[in-house]
This record gives sequence, structure tokens and C-alpha cells, in this order.
Amino acid sequence: MKASFLLTLLGLILLSMFAASLTPPLPGGKRTTLVWATDNNPVRAEQCALFNKLNPDLFLTIDPQNADSQKVIVQSIGGVGPDLFDGYSAENLENFVRAGIPLDVTDDFEKMDIDIYDLIWPTLLPGCVYRDRIYGFPRNANTNAVWYNKDLFDKAGVPYPKRDWSWHDLIATAKKLTVRDEAGKAKQFGFYWDFGNTGDLIFQSGGRQFSKDGTVSLIGSPEAIDAVQRSRDLLHKYKIAPSPMEEAALATQGGWGSGGITFLMGGRVAMAYGGRWWLNLMRSQKGLNLGCVPLPFTKQRLYQGGGGITMINRYSPKREAALRFLKFMSEKPYNDLINSQADAISPVKKYAYTEEFLFNPAYPQEDYNEIWRFVNEHAEAAEFSPFLKGTDIAPLKNQLDLVKNDLKPVPEAMKQAAIDTNERIKRNIEINPLYAKMYRELKGENP
Amino acid sequence: MNKQRRRLFIGLAFLLPNLLGFLIFTAGPVAFSFGAAFTNWDLQGSPVRFIGFDNFVNMATDNGFWLYLVNTFYFLIGIPLSIVGSLAVALLLDSKIRGIVVYRTLLYLPSVTSGVAVMILWKALYNPDFGPINRFIESVFGVQGPNWLLSTQNLAALGVEKVGFVPMQFGFGAREAILIMGIWGALGGGNTLLYLAALGNVPSELTEAAELDGANRWKVFRNVTWPQLAPTTFFILVMSFIGGLQGGFEQARVMTGGGPAGTTTTIAYYIYNKAFVELQMGFASAVSLVLFALIFAITLLNWKFGNRETTY
Amino acid sequence: MAVRKRKLNLGPHIALVLLSVMALMPFIWMVLASFKELADVESPNLWPTSWHPENYAEVFRQIKYAQYYFNSAFIAAWVTFLTLVTSSMAAYSFARIQWPGRDSIFRLYLATMMIPGLVTMIPNFSLMVELRLLDSYTGLIVPAAFSAFGTFMLRQFMMSIHPSLDEAAEIDGAKPLQIFWDVVMPLCKPGLATLGIFTFMGSYGSFFWPLILVKSDHLRTLPIGMMYFDSVNGRQTNLIMAASVMSIIPLILLFIAGQKFFVKGIMLGGVKG
Repeated sequence: MKASFLLTLLGLILLSMFAASLTPPLPGGKRTTLVWATDNNPVRAEQCALFNKLNPDLFLTIDPQNADSQKVIVQSIGGVGPDLFDGYSAENLENFVRAGIPLDVTDDFEKMDIDIYDLIWPTLLPGCVYRDRIYGFPRNANTNAVWYNKDLFDKAGVPYPKRDWSWHDLIATAKKLTVRDEAGKAKQFGFYWDFGNTGDLIFQSGGRQFSKDGTVSLIGSPEAIDAVQRSRDLLHKYKIAPSPMEEAALATQGGWGSGGITFLMGGRVAMAYGGRWWLNLMRSQKGLNLGCVPLPFTKQRLYQGGGGITMINRYSPKREAALRFLKFMSEKPYNDLINSQADAISPVKKYAYTEEFLFNPAYPQEDYNEIWRFVNEHAEAAEFSPFLKGTDIAPLKNQLDLVKNDLKPVPEAMKQAAIDTNERIKRNIEINPLYAKMYRELKGENP
Repeated sequence: MNKQRRRLFIGLAFLLPNLLGFLIFTAGPVAFSFGAAFTNWDLQGSPVRFIGFDNFVNMATDNGFWLYLVNTFYFLIGIPLSIVGSLAVALLLDSKIRGIVVYRTLLYLPSVTSGVAVMILWKALYNPDFGPINRFIESVFGVQGPNWLLSTQNLAALGVEKVGFVPMQFGFGAREAILIMGIWGALGGGNTLLYLAALGNVPSELTEAAELDGANRWKVFRNVTWPQLAPTTFFILVMSFIGGLQGGFEQARVMTGGGPAGTTTTIAYYIYNKAFVELQMGFASAVSLVLFALIFAITLLNWKFGNRETTY
Repeated sequence: MAVRKRKLNLGPHIALVLLSVMALMPFIWMVLASFKELADVESPNLWPTSWHPENYAEVFRQIKYAQYYFNSAFIAAWVTFLTLVTSSMAAYSFARIQWPGRDSIFRLYLATMMIPGLVTMIPNFSLMVELRLLDSYTGLIVPAAFSAFGTFMLRQFMMSIHPSLDEAAEIDGAKPLQIFWDVVMPLCKPGLATLGIFTFMGSYGSFFWPLILVKSDHLRTLPIGMMYFDSVNGRQTNLIMAASVMSIIPLILLFIAGQKFFVKGIMLGGVKG
């Protein structure tokens, strides 16, 4: 008995030595290795390769499995954080800054002569700048537009959408392209609409989700209700876009990004509202014949824009090297690469105003690049309230879920969402001195 | 006296490794949680302060907490069902028939493999359109199957937004899907093994005597076997409640993301989200203490009403 | 017993066959789906239209499956070993040595089985953060190596061994450690095997702790690693199924190997001590 336990122990110790030998060495070899916690979109590999080519002493590699913001925070505190990581919004940035993770690069940017206010799309600023301090540089800029599958249009004999079309046109077109079987089950939908884009419609109808200072939720306002109603009607009144149930039924087996992209690629939807970054997957499907137009608007042409923001970990011992990556992102080679990869569009505005951007010789059929620049020109950053945190948005999310599943009328749901959200804002200000201080400052400055 | 001291020394020496682990990884953390529950500790740079009962007040005023608590209790329905099921299976497996080892292995398979792999499997089985379960329902009953993991419906007609009943919510939905999977996984599992062991300990003279007295099978079971199994049933019941009340995390994380509309979010998943997604460690500690109190209370109740014949 | 034996009874057979089919159906679907083409997984036919054993190779190509496999088994082996050692020692102390205060400490142990793992999870996690054990084998193994349940289970088992045995050994001049290793432990084999297999299975399938603790790819365990096929990388149901099939094989083998111990090994509630 004793012997077998001792033998097992010995075996385990040997195994542990073996396990330790399995730890892979840093991939960069002798070069300084930079780890970037970002998504695993295949385009990142090429971006890293370009950086590594231009900086032979450095080696940039990605760690897509640890890119969630909470993982970045916890791991950084625990001493195993990445050197570079991404945020996607003002909300992300605020969380990171509060946790003390990102490095304040304001002075470094000044020294390196990077003026982000001048360089980047305005939609990206809220994700980079918190209380006048700069914490990162954008990776790309994205605003959505309507993709359409030309072949499905041709097959149905429906003319392609026009650039100045109206919502009425969109619905009529999509109706013609929605194909149902005898049982009434849709085999093909005219449109794919991600409910998460309802914010675009709120902008369009002249509404807002929050007051400018973020202290009041306006989701119950007539403009917002109108927008959510429009969003819901696409699924349940006109039935031109798949409802959640129908979507699950349609669901193919995914692919990077899944959802709308795969439906569009699989010919299951004729049009879909999505970003230019969809292209980097859609290009892989030869013979897919695509076009694109801006989403029609109601009161004003205004879309939600944003993008990935790359920040440096304050705990990283490789700050200097990491700064060189941010600098690289502000320069032409990187921006040109983004544009030619179609990883949305370049974060630096001026590089989207070139001939190469408009006409990519490798993809001559992509004659719609100007549209992507156009929608970015008409975009504003997504809204958020600094007085809400994490699942404080749950009430809104739950109500939207109900609407999306057609379980509750829109006005009722949104009014409830506004009440619940405002309650949370109030409570957060009451119980959290940090919020209270912010609130007093806001009210003090704008009486 | 000297001998007693020696025994104390030896006893503690043998206990020490386990006791150390117990102190560091169980007792210490519990004490720590008690403290943390009264602070705003959030791993996000806010200075840690003592905030009295604020976390508990916030919890009580959070509609979500109550909904998730109801969800957690709803999932406990599976306990009696799987206990009865495990007992039935154990009785079947206790009969002296040929091939019993094969049956035992086959029936144990689901519980051996419970875990992420099997949850991913069931997720595919429940697909409303191409999943084999709905295929089966359609071909046998000629009706369209439920939307399972995508549906907020449930057999108790629980509402989605507030704790309460909403008749149109009656039906099969995500919660039932998870319950059925749980019962499937439990049928031939550990509980069945426990029952089998206990059945082996029922003196055969007792059952034989009863049978000779002309009692039918049911009567033999009811009056002889069942009382003999009471301690085992009690043990299983207590452990199932303890497990059930803190369960539901893996299902939510792997199969549903806690949805649709929060209907499969249990207290465990709520704690996970608060602690490791929102990093609200203080608040999450408070919720876990409430869960602890609940488990404690229910175990005491079990003890009071169930513990008639068990001794340790 | 003799009465029952004589009856030729089809009832239990039918019931058992039905139950077995119910238990097996999902696995059959799983195995068949693992050989299908992705598009074929959705098709109404149970049987693959064409067989794709290369799915299994594809699993190894897309993720570090062998490494995850090793990690799961390696971590589970350490956890099992440490649990067996610490639990059996504690159980020996509780069951076979009379020392003052023993029973109250044992009751405390029993009570801790009620503590939800979630209560200790948060402090343990921050302990790992403080000790810089995030993302390490040690952090995955050590906190799982002390089991109140295991202590309880083995203590029940040791109580059932007649005390005269170690008294005799003591009279022969055996030291406590000798009694422990040479007298008590060999008699506990079924209990140790049962606890060992349960612990191994529990650790092999554990999800929560590795999920929050592990960062590096090379430290991932099977349950975490397999999620790759059902994530933003796209849902590749056929590959998930292939990975799942491979991941449960050791558990089935272990169960078959340990089966003869199980019923003997479980001496829990109801056994008068």
C-alpha cells in the first residue's frame, strides 16, 4: 500500500517535470515579445506580421482567448496581464481606467507628435479619451451599412437598392426577397437585422438613449419608442427579417462572427445591416456578388460608429515597445493595410481619402468603398451613461429581449426600461461616492 | 494522562494536512466572505470601504435577484424526480437477472460523462429545427416541438419580468430542457449506486419473511425495504439540496448564457456574473452568503423532518 | 432472494433495455454526428451521408487537444492523489484514534460540506491572485486537494473495520504510521478506489475553477478547450462531438475498471458507526 502510494507520487513528480517541459517558449525568441489581447479575427495575423517586419527587434503576437475586459483587468492585477489590449467603447475605457489598468499615453503621444484629435475619426475619440487624458489609439473605425447579395436580387428580378432609398423602399424590397415554403416557414429572408443596432434608429429619429450628461435615460421618449417600434416591426410586422426563433432555425453552423455574415454568405438573407469588416470573411467565398448602400433614414442621417481601441497595460514592463505599436497604428502602412484587408476602415481619417482605398486592385469588384467612408462621416459614437455599470443595463436589455421576441408592446416595454434604468442611475449615485462626486461635478458645471 | 496527550498529538498529526487545507481554502475564505459582504470591494480601484448592509439592501431591491432565486428553486423540482428515478433504477438493477453488469454500465454512462461535453451535446439535441428531439416529437406526435432552450415558457407559467404567474408562459421551455437533461444525467448515477449499496444491506430474511407472510411486492417494498432505505434517502436528499441550490452555473454558461431573458440564470450564475464579469466582489460575496444561509436553513429543515433513523 | 430467483421475469429486462436505450441515445447521436460533415449535422438523417473520420484529426489540428487532454488527466491525477492522502489520514484520525475534541471537530467538518463552493470561490480566487498563482498548475491543483466529503466517506469506511485489528497491531508494538499503512489502508481499498474514481472524475470535468483561473492556452483543460468549437470561432458541431467522444473515453474506461469497487466502497449514511 505504502509502496504503491510512493510509486504514484514518484510517477506524478516525473509527470510534473514533463508538464513543465511542455511550457512553450515565448514565440519571439530573442526579440522582445509583445502580447496583444485582441479578437481572433484572421486579419490580426497580417497586422502583426507587418509590425514585426517593420520592427525587427520586436515580436508582436496575439492572445485572443484573454481579450474580455474582465479577464484583462483580473489578469493584470494578478500579474499575468497582456502588454496591449483592446477596448471598444467609452464604457470599456471608463472601466479600465477605474481599475487602473491602461497607461496614460497623453504625454508620450505629445512627444511622438501624435495628435489624435486631428488624426482619427471623431466616433473613436470617446473610446480613447477619458477626462482629457489619452489612453489608447484606435485599431479601426466601423459604421454599418446595408450589404446586399446581387445574385438573389437578379434571380428575383428585383432592382438593386439605390443610395437614397427610403425605409419604405427597404421594406418593399425585402418583402419581395422573402421566400416562404407552403407551410409558411421562411427559407430566405429579405433582410437581416441585428437588434443591437436599434441605437442607429434612435439616432435617426432624432432621439437619444441618455441625456447628454448621462444622468437620465431617454429610452421612454417618443423618438426612442418610435425607433424601437421600427426595429421590432422588421421582425414581427413586416416579417422581412428573422425573429430570434426563426434565426435559430436558420442557423447554420457559424463561422467567424456568425449571424448575419453567414446568412448573407449562405444566401439565406438578401440584405443585411453590417460593417465593412464582414468583407474579410466574405471575400473567402468566391463568386459571392455583393453590393452595399447606406441604411435609409427617417429624420436625420446619423449612424452609430465605433471601433477597437488598443491600450497599453500599465503593469507591462515593455511600455516602450508597446508605444511603438501605437505609433505604428497611426502611420500609413498600418492604415493602408486595414483598408486593403477590409478590417472596417482605417482609424486615421486621411488614409481613407485615397485612390487605393476607393479602388483596391486586388478586388476590383468592390466598387462601393466610398459608401463606407460616407457612413463614417455621418456617424456618432454609441451613447452610454457613466452612471451605469455592467449589468445595470440589464433592465433595458431584458425589455428589448421581450420586444424582440414579440412578448410585450414596445411603448410599455420602453417606458418600463426607462423607469428601471433611471432608478438604477439614482441608486448608483446614492450609494457610490464615486458616482456622487461625478454627479455633483456635472451639476456644478452645468447648472 | 500522558497516553491521552500522545493520542491527541498523533490524532492531530494525522489530521494536520487536511486541516491546513481546510483552514486555508475553506474556513479562511468563509470568514473572509463574511467580511467582504459588507464592503464595496470591486477589484476596480474603488477604495475598499465598509458599507454596512448596503449590498444586502441592493440585492433585495434587485428584481433580478428574486427572479433568479425563483429559477433556482424551480430547478429543485428535479430532485424528487431524480430520487424516485434513481431508486427505481436501483431496484431494477438489484434484481438478480442476467447481464446486470452491462445494464449497470450503460445506465451509469450519462452521469459519468456529465459535464461540458454532454451539455454541448444536449444543446445540439435541443435545436428546435434540426435537433433530434424535436424531430422525434414531430414524427411521433405530429406536432411541432417546443423551442426548448430559446423559449421562456415553463410548466409553472412563471413570468419573465417579475416574480409571478403569467398564463401565456405555460409550456415547455429552456428550464424544462435543463431539468430533463439533469434527470437523464442523474438516473443511473451516484444516487443509484448509493441505493444499490443500501439495498445490499437490507437483510434478506426481512423481505423473505414478509413475502412468506403473503405480502405483495409493493407491500414488501413499502413496509420493509423503504424504511431500511430511509437513511440513504435522507442523505441523498440533503446532498441534492445542497448541490441543487448552488447549481445551474455550467448549464447557464455552456448552454444558454443564462437566457432567454434570464430564465435559466440561477443564483450561482448570478454570483459568477457579479464576481467575475462585473468584478463586484463585495456584492457577490453578499449574495453567496445569502445562498449559504438558505442552504443552511434547508438542511436544518431536512434534518428536523427527515433525520429519524440516521446516525453517524 | 431465493424466491425471486426462481421466477423467470421479463419485466425488469424490458424496463432496463428501455432505460438503457434512453441513456444511450444521446451518445449514439454524438458519435454519429462526430463523423458527419458540418452541413450534414443539420440533416434529418441520423446516419451520416458520408463518413468523415478526419474530423478527429481536425480536432487536433485546430486546437491543442493533446495538451488539453494531458492537462486534464495530469491535474486530475494530482488532485486525486493528494485528496486520497489527506482524506485518508484525516479519516484515520477521526475513525481510529481517540483524542479529546475529536468529535466536535468532526462535526465541524461535516458542517462545512454545506458551504456552497461559491462562497469560498471568491476569496480563493483573490488568494490565488495575491499568491501569483493565477494561470499555473499549482493554482489548479492545490485548492482542490482537500476534501471534507472524502474525509467523511473514508471515515465511515474505516469505522466499519473492527477496532480489534489495530489494537492487536498496537500490542505487537506497531507505530501509528505502520498501523495506518499496513493495517487500515489495505482494508480500505474499495473505499479508496471509489473516492479516487469520484475525485478523478470530478476534477477531470471541473469547469468553473479552470475557467476563471487559466489564461494560457497550454494550461487549458478539456472542458475549457473544447468550448473553442462553440464560440465566436463558429459552431462546429461535428468537431465538438468528436472532441467530446474522445474526452469521455477515459471516464468510461475508469468506470468499468472501478465498477467492482463501487457498491462495496460506498458506506455512507445509514451505516451505524
